[in-house]
Amino acid sequence: MFAAITSATLTGTSGSRIVVESHVGPGIPAFTVVGLPDEGCRESRDRVRAAMLSSGLEWPNRRITINLAGAGERRGGAGLDVAIAVGLLVATGVIPAEAVHNVAFIAELGLDGSLRTTAGIAPLVAAVADHDVVVSAAAVNEALIARPSRVRAVSSLCELVSALCAEAPWPDVDAESPRVVSDDVPNLSDVRGQPVARLALEVAAAGLHHMLMIGPPGAGKSMLAKRLPGLLPRLTHEEAFQVAMIRSAAGMTVQTELATSPPYRAPHHSISMVGMVGGGTAHIRPGEITLASHGVLFLDEMGEFAPSVLDALRQPLEERTVHISRAHSRVEMPAECLLVAATNPCPCGVAIRANCECAPVARQRYLRRFSGPLLDRFDLRVHLSRPSTIDLTGETKGECSEAVAERVAAVHNIARTRQGCVNSAITGDMLDDVAPLDDEALMFLRHHLDNGTLTGRGYHRVRRVARTLADLNGDAGVISQQWVSVALHLRARLETGVVHHS
Amino acid sequence: MSGVPQWAYAAALAGLPLQTHMRLRRLLSLGSPEEMWNAITEGSAPVPGVSTDVMSVWRSTEQDAARRMEDLCRSKNIHVCVRGDATYPDPLISDPKAPAVLFALGTLHPFTHRRVGIIGTRLATQSGRHFARVLGEQLTAENVSVVSGLARGIDVEAHLGSLRTELGAPPVAVVAGGPDVVYPREHESVWRNVVERGVILSEFPPGAPPEPYKFPLRNRILAALSEVLIVVESRSTGGSMTTVREAMKRDITVMAVPGSPHIKPSEGTNDLLRDGCAPVTCVDDVLVALGLDTRRVVKGHDGRTPPSAVGLRILDLMENLPRTVDEVALLSGMSVVDVAVSLGSLEAQGWVAQGDGWWEALTR
Repeated sequence: MFAAITSATLTGTSGSRIVVESHVGPGIPAFTVVGLPDEGCRESRDRVRAAMLSSGLEWPNRRITINLAGAGERRGGAGLDVAIAVGLLVATGVIPAEAVHNVAFIAELGLDGSLRTTAGIAPLVAAVADHDVVVSAAAVNEALIARPSRVRAVSSLCELVSALCAEAPWPDVDAESPRVVSDDVPNLSDVRGQPVARLALEVAAAGLHHMLMIGPPGAGKSMLAKRLPGLLPRLTHEEAFQVAMIRSAAGMTVQTELATSPPYRAPHHSISMVGMVGGGTAHIRPGEITLASHGVLFLDEMGEFAPSVLDALRQPLEERTVHISRAHSRVEMPAECLLVAATNPCPCGVAIRANCECAPVARQRYLRRFSGPLLDRFDLRVHLSRPSTIDLTGETKGECSEAVAERVAAVHNIARTRQGCVNSAITGDMLDDVAPLDDEALMFLRHHLDNGTLTGRGYHRVRRVARTLADLNGDAGVISQQWVSVALHLRARLETGVVHHS
Repeated sequence: MSGVPQWAYAAALAGLPLQTHMRLRRLLSLGSPEEMWNAITEGSAPVPGVSTDVMSVWRSTEQDAARRMEDLCRSKNIHVCVRGDATYPDPLISDPKAPAVLFALGTLHPFTHRRVGIIGTRLATQSGRHFARVLGEQLTAENVSVVSGLARGIDVEAHLGSLRTELGAPPVAVVAGGPDVVYPREHESVWRNVVERGVILSEFPPGAPPEPYKFPLRNRILAALSEVLIVVESRSTGGSMTTVREAMKRDITVMAVPGSPHIKPSEGTNDLLRDGCAPVTCVDDVLVALGLDTRRVVKGHDGRTPPSAVGLRILDLMENLPRTVDEVALLSGMSVVDVAVSLGSLEAQGWVAQGDGWWEALTR
């Protein structure tokens, strides 16, 4: 008559446990799902019925009520199909109730009775940690990431029923042989010349400073950004686990072997706000900023992104998490990424500035598309130029990623032991302790502050970058003028033409 | 209507819709401003030389507009000079295309000084701007008025330089809107300072917006007011070149500042040099052209700390062309860090300037 089956639903990047209650009783034959199901879940009725009939199981011609316990929050997803089917079979006595004790079911049903995988298997499995969990055969890899044991995989409803009724043994869980994780991050040695760009990349990686690249087409902006993941330290197990969970929640392929190279996401500029920070109506899905967690988020042609999309990045970048609130749910998702953006200096994008065809107003308007607060998030604002012909055709290769990555990792270690966070996360009140300036450096910065070439906000940013530069060069103590000077170079002044009243 | 001065009628005539400088001159040659104003607003008889279409527009003008124009000019402290008045600028009296009415904001005494026009492109290089500023400063100090257009780039730099001096000849600006209409907006403080020290002239009444067609008209007045016209940087086409043509029509000496043949802001000036204009490389060249004594100019030390040996090497690399840090590093064989440090101190000492990642030497 009644059964309660454990399953899980997905919100954002984390799963939450849910009990699917089934009641089969007398009355006019009907099949209703209650407990605020979403569209995908209401459709389960038809899928479950068809799957059971195809599998040769009897459909109870009675009044069936399914309740997704804990009403008050909209939930759903096709992953509840199997839990509903098993609930009906337990309620009608086909499967003994003891067999489903401490077992959770997470899979979608096909009309032919086969089990299918659904998005977010890894976080869903993690949500039912104290249960054995049944998933489809195709989802084994993902499930094993969340938990290496107590995972059962079946490929059809028939197989599941006979295993639960102890008529047949559970099929073996054979995780596919761990594939070699493809690690084809392009190498920095392909970059010829461009010493400024190399320095900027190294600093960005070493201090996790957000970077804005300003340069004409052909300056290699995207080429450089693609090489950044190769400079970052390998992911720790914990980070790699989190990345895998996020990928799984987004419905992307996940391998059993945790990938340790930092993710690289480069969304097209037509992306919507929901695509960027996450959201959605029925299910809240992670956005690009969450997918880039522990890795690099690259925005090519930043000026072409909708201003609302860019401004939506501000809060997540600051807090390192995304908060999404909807009428029915509130979700928090990680957003710890290194933001790298690229833009042309002006609409025409010629290589030599003096030959630019744009009216001064057009140039200013182009850069004014970026709001001040957003531009302020970039510690590094670097003007790039096209590599010279000598460099492009020359034989000499640049320094390879591995050598740079070694220095970067060393700086990460120094920073973690000194202040417990990367250099870009040093707070204003820590600066004097962590990044003290010598007299010359202080005078130099004062000169620029008085000149109006450096703002108060920029002052702190420059000091953080100077800290990273000094760390990279083994200067752990007081910061000397040369690092401040270089840090200022890596913070280009942008002529946005905003009127300053004196 | 009594009590409205003649100049207010002239100003009101200048402010009529569809007014052109040719029509205005013709109108004022037919009778006194008051008579003409009454003839137009009453519309009793056709005015010779004015088509019926224009007349039908003009006839709907309110009689009262002249009084309002008087109040407006008085409240804004704008002086109206009508051709033939004692206050009308002497250099324009014999000019064949001189405006019949000029609106002046500031003090109207600058035309006893020698006058040099400094013009150039809005898309100037940093070194071009620097040159214009230094030239403006030195000429003003030599008691030569700097005439320019207060546009972005070279124009405004010339006046900024001129305003840097304590004493010296008053600056003269000729603008394409009403003299009280600040354009572009970021030039508000320069505008104010020019009014304080010199004068802003325009043939358009107060409040008139600067429109594209007005700039070439402005350029003819600018050229006519200059004794020598200096083009600091210009592309081969553009506003500066219309000023040059206006100057050449009037037999005014045009001089040009030589620049690198590789960049567009020097194309126009190099063309002028090839066509026989005299080059300007320092203030002496201009003083000689004006027939002034150059001996008083103190030469030599300009107050900047001399650059270091490394700094000199970098300055040499940037002698002709703007350079990026990448290029400087490649050409000098120094590391980016060293180049950045050297450029930083050169910039602090005033030897180099940068714009959009391009570094330029400020030689003078």
